[in-house]
Amino acid sequence: MDLNEEQAGGVTVLQVMGRIDSTTAPVLGERLTAMVGAAGARVVVDFSQLDYISSAGFRILLLAAKRADQTTSKLVLCGVSGKVRQLFDLGGFLDLFTIAHTREEGIAAAG
Amino acid sequence: MRRPANIVYGLEDSPPPHVTVFNGVQYVGLIAINLVYPLLVFRAAETPAQLVGSLLAIGMLVLGLATFLQVCRLGPVGSGYMCPATFTATYLGPSLLAVQVGGLPLLFGMTLFAGLLEVVLAPLLNRLRPIFPPEVSGLVIFVIGLSGGIAGLRAMLGEKAAPVSTEEWWIAGVTLATMVALNVWGKGMARMLCALIGLAIGYIAAGIAGLLGVGNIRTIAEAPWIGLPAFGHLSWSFDISMVVPFAIAAVAAAMKAVGTIAVCQRMNDADWVRPDMRSITRGVLADGASTVVAGVAGALGTNTSTPAVGLAAATGVASRKVAYAVGAIFLLLGLFPKLTALLAVMPRPVVVASLLFAVTFIMINGLQVMSSRMLDARRTLVVGLAIVAGTAVEVFPTLSATAPEAARPLIGSSLVFSTVIALLLNFLFRIGVKQTATFKVDGAPVQAEKLEQFMETNGAAWGARRDVIDRAKFNLAQSLEVIVDSCEPQGPVEVAASFDEFNLDLRVSYVGPPIELPERRPSNEEIMESEDGQCKLAGFMLRRHADRVAATHRAGRSTILFHFDH
Repeated sequence: MDLNEEQAGGVTVLQVMGRIDSTTAPVLGERLTAMVGAAGARVVVDFSQLDYISSAGFRILLLAAKRADQTTSKLVLCGVSGKVRQLFDLGGFLDLFTIAHTREEGIAAAG
Repeated sequence: MRRPANIVYGLEDSPPPHVTVFNGVQYVGLIAINLVYPLLVFRAAETPAQLVGSLLAIGMLVLGLATFLQVCRLGPVGSGYMCPATFTATYLGPSLLAVQVGGLPLLFGMTLFAGLLEVVLAPLLNRLRPIFPPEVSGLVIFVIGLSGGIAGLRAMLGEKAAPVSTEEWWIAGVTLATMVALNVWGKGMARMLCALIGLAIGYIAAGIAGLLGVGNIRTIAEAPWIGLPAFGHLSWSFDISMVVPFAIAAVAAAMKAVGTIAVCQRMNDADWVRPDMRSITRGVLADGASTVVAGVAGALGTNTSTPAVGLAAATGVASRKVAYAVGAIFLLLGLFPKLTALLAVMPRPVVVASLLFAVTFIMINGLQVMSSRMLDARRTLVVGLAIVAGTAVEVFPTLSATAPEAARPLIGSSLVFSTVIALLLNFLFRIGVKQTATFKVDGAPVQAEKLEQFMETNGAAWGARRDVIDRAKFNLAQSLEVIVDSCEPQGPVEVAASFDEFNLDLRVSYVGPPIELPERRPSNEEIMESEDGQCKLAGFMLRRHADRVAATHRAGRSTILFHFDH
């Protein structure tokens, strides 16, 4: 898994590439928790280059969303399509997160 | 059966009369362009224009009856779906061959044979899937398009064709350009009826250029407004050398009917998962019976109309009542000799342009079917060499003359030759393909790339569907992740993947406690609280992703079976 962080008008965009499994999920979890840990943070996670996400990855996303609620931060996911979207649907996660179609829409939704 | 959101009038609904009639006319307009196939065959048989008019009228009556056969459920016949009938390029090549060898009687006799064969094949189709995998049936569709297009061009550019005038080039260009422009840039009705509008423009252009001819105009003028077509010319014959081309066409027609009816099922049911073979078998029986009727009455073989079903999906009007309207309109049109006389004198460039437009979509449809499966080197060679073989027959028509006497019927037609080559290679290349592949995983971390490669390589060797392999890849990766991380397996985890055309089974076994595969999703709190919740989520997703799961635990060894329908 590779992570790439960018700033776009006060919104932090984290692009996740490759696979989120039990080996890589803790790395993502640490990064995400730190990002949404600051009060009022605005974070977009871009999954357009993601190939695979397992239950370990979904757990990390749930924990990050919970942390964002506690700190009144905003967490938006984008680029959830194809196989990855099917997995979100399979696990019943599509309605649990704010999911934007594109990165631009994600930034607008977070901002 | 739950109605999808985009369907305005479902299968059992009764749309208002004006909606029913308007949609019926729209489908007839869409299908009417395919009258170009019988027209081309009757022209090749040098049939007089008056008789061509009568034959086209019979053709319309046959389409009307065929549409009723498909939508009505009479005994074991008829899918019951809004799936109108049409003439098809599938029978074009064999029909052209038949009229060359034995004129119209042989055409009608062999069409009757093809229809009977399709009727016999209908209940066996599902079992024939390994013999005709999608890359072979896609190839058949592609070559049907290719040979149809070349047959059209031969009518203008062939050795026996009359020289093409400048006006004819212009008319062909204007006709084709109209169809293409409306299809690419048109909207609504203009787009849906692009072929019919192009046809009308072609006629007008031919009329202005004086290509309709005084004789042809007289034929139209003398034809009565209302009347029954003549059946006096009908006779039938049979030729053993035509069996293979018509048999291949019958199988291709049956496969297309399977695909079209599966689209109907999916279109009408939001919860559709996989084809229901009962209504498909009934639909293929109706399709075969329609071709029997065509052979008896004196028409070309018919087939389910895929574009018409596509139009139903686009408009959201899938009511059975609309199919009754389509059938009734075709029956009525068959009783208007003036209309069929007008079609019978269709100028050569208009025929060719319409054909080129139609076969383009057929060829692409074939390519899509071929690429719906994962293709390794063996399957790539099956498809590639078979296309070269078919093209060689078209480019070198004298090829069959140089072949041994017994092989000539197989090499005389591009469709037959390429199909035979594909079937032979398909059988040959089965040598050495293991239907069960095994793999061992030793300890953490799980090498995701190796798992991916294992499923990709074997999936391509088996010619499996991409979506099924993707599902299996997830289940393999997710289950191994849970086993290695949470079950502390003693020794390696063994993976076996088995495939036949209908099933993909994954067997994962290890020494250690079993993983839980709950039917209920754990709550978000459970998932967040502990790794146990995360494992339950994994088990829930694994269960949902496979079509069937089974888990056993005996003598310390746990085994999970994931079954995927294929």
